[in-house]
Amino acid sequence: MSENRSFFRDTVERILADTLDKADIDAAEERRLLPAALHDALTENGITLMLVPEDQGGIGATLGDTAEMLRLIGDAAAPGPILETIVGQRLLADAGLEVSPGLLSLVFVEDGPQLPRDATQWQQAAAYDVPWAQAVEQIIIVARDGEGGRLIVSQAADWTVGPGADAAGEPRDTLTATSLPVTIALLPDYDAALQMAATLRGAQILGAIQWALRRSVEHAGERKQFGREIGKFQAVQQMLAELAGHVLASSAITEAAAEGQTSGLVAAARSRLGDAADAAITISHQVHGAIGFSLEYALNARTRRLMAWRDDYGSVLYWRRALGTRFNTLDRETFWFGVSDAGLAA
Amino acid sequence: MTAASLHLELPKLTADAEALRQEVRAFVAGERATGRLPPPHRVGLGFDKEFTRRIARKGWIGLTWPKRYGGQERSALERYVMNEELLAAAVPVGAHWVADRQSGPVLLKFGTEAQREFYLPRIAAGDLTFSIGMSEPESGSDLASLKAKAEKVEGGWRLNGRKIWTTNAHHAQYIIVLARTSTVEGARHAGFSQLIVDMTSPGISISPIVSMANEHDFNEVLFEDVFVPDDALVGKEGNGWNQVSAELAYERSGPERWLSSFRLISELVEALGPDARPSSLEELGRLISHLLSLRQLSMSVASMLQQGQSPNMEASIVKDLGTKFEQEAVRVVRNIVSAEHLTAGGRAERLKALLIHAQQYAPAFTIRGGTNEILRGIIAKGIGLR
Repeated sequence: MSENRSFFRDTVERILADTLDKADIDAAEERRLLPAALHDALTENGITLMLVPEDQGGIGATLGDTAEMLRLIGDAAAPGPILETIVGQRLLADAGLEVSPGLLSLVFVEDGPQLPRDATQWQQAAAYDVPWAQAVEQIIIVARDGEGGRLIVSQAADWTVGPGADAAGEPRDTLTATSLPVTIALLPDYDAALQMAATLRGAQILGAIQWALRRSVEHAGERKQFGREIGKFQAVQQMLAELAGHVLASSAITEAAAEGQTSGLVAAARSRLGDAADAAITISHQVHGAIGFSLEYALNARTRRLMAWRDDYGSVLYWRRALGTRFNTLDRETFWFGVSDAGLAA
Repeated sequence: MTAASLHLELPKLTADAEALRQEVRAFVAGERATGRLPPPHRVGLGFDKEFTRRIARKGWIGLTWPKRYGGQERSALERYVMNEELLAAAVPVGAHWVADRQSGPVLLKFGTEAQREFYLPRIAAGDLTFSIGMSEPESGSDLASLKAKAEKVEGGWRLNGRKIWTTNAHHAQYIIVLARTSTVEGARHAGFSQLIVDMTSPGISISPIVSMANEHDFNEVLFEDVFVPDDALVGKEGNGWNQVSAELAYERSGPERWLSSFRLISELVEALGPDARPSSLEELGRLISHLLSLRQLSMSVASMLQQGQSPNMEASIVKDLGTKFEQEAVRVVRNIVSAEHLTAGGRAERLKALLIHAQQYAPAFTIRGGTNEILRGIIAKGIGLR
């Protein structure tokens, strides 16, 4: 592990331990309350600007390092627009727009509004499934268009918010405005931006899956039925071994995607994580029995986030189609070359 | 070990390994060009003694072994790269596969100097095929219950017993048999030894077992008062269980555990073309995502082996996931073939033949070399259960 990564990891682990507990997660889900101490600490330590280049006021961390932070954040089920802010700030910096220390929200839309490049107002504006719209300063809509994409930057306060929520209970709102002031910037490569967000969400998913496995193994060692720990039963062992396989395989491809950032690896990681998330939800709840279904038990803070996250920034099926399309034009001999070229080694 | 330690590092593939990859590709292309090795109609390792000799002339058997025993002293990762290239091309490596993967390394690790000097150069030259004598009719997953017995006699051992599912016994010059040589009260895994048995020894009879894929790879081998000389004992008397356990780690993590169905997927891709429907692309994409994940995982395990670590749980995970993937691939290919009518009207005949054969062969993927249930028991122990 690089020195930088150890440092970031220690920092984020400490912040999470100091500022986040179950009551904060509950408050976010039940009362749309942002865990302020957590976000203040992440902002003060520069984590929200970690992908912004140093000469633009950020840390200039690699995507691999950032993914490792998101993995920890996913493991902790930390609520709030953390990924959205980290990616949003980077997109602002890349577009030459001003980076401000506040929180951002971010949505990708495949069929966005066709606004001219120099537009300053968006009439009859609408945006859907926008995370934490009432807790952020700016909202960035990343819209695909014929030339790549554009960033539509707006002030959160200018929108009318219709509250909604994802499966975890975190805000995902419907926004409307009759005439919205916007700043528009060109985004040369929409897919690269989507891949960045997809990779980081993948790391967050991986963290939640790893937590679910760890807790399930602990639970199987504590919970007794028929006079012994349920982990002594082969049926339970087989399920958890299967989940361990999902964890190891998806961590191998997710790390490769974060380090390599090729479209093939990112697509493979998100497709593989889709299966791993499904298995983690099913198996960890089955091992926990009834207790895991209770809202106050910490397991479902992870599994409900897996439900919310697995189709974010490209659904599982979106990434599978992308991967299938990359490979189906090859022939019987070149197919293997495509597979082996897609791999990543240090 | 616990669930928390389930973490891998990126594999470290050197420039030498990538150079070897290109060498293997050029070799395979050359073989294809001669017309001697057409793309196969069947899954599984083909058996071709002549091809094995051509591989041997490239120095690709015993690649990692010391030069004094006929090896090339290349790294385990280079061997990994060579093997994935050969397996993905599905060239017939069956005549030397077991000797290269298992028998040779066991002799290198536990054998006497005389054994190494005799067997290893001959394996590396492609002259010897080895079989493994572990399973018995009454001892499958519960290997420690095996009954084959070698009694001490003047100058050697007298071996009696029955081994089954013995791949290529009808082609092999030697078999390494796991047999009981002593009994230790209360110690179930003690008292086993490994013996190298010459297949031409008097008292050996071989009966073929034809598989449900209509192939003769397996055999049942009967040993009746077979004399095995003292110098054929591998390692220490009574240490057989430990030696076999070490051997199984090699057997479990290699690319052969997730590439068995690979040609089937290649033929599907060939037949599918650019006009596939979205549902087919989704199924294919999912399959490829599992393939790429398994390959990353398998390379990481090879990398850990190279660094002298013992990733036994990770190796078991590779085999559990890899073999499930091989079976899943058959189901997915079948569904896409059906949805896209790929083999209708006499089209894609090789794909059609491979698909039939792969369906027949697929039940073996999750049984051979340790059933997935046994592997998951090992994994459960690795993550802190049991």
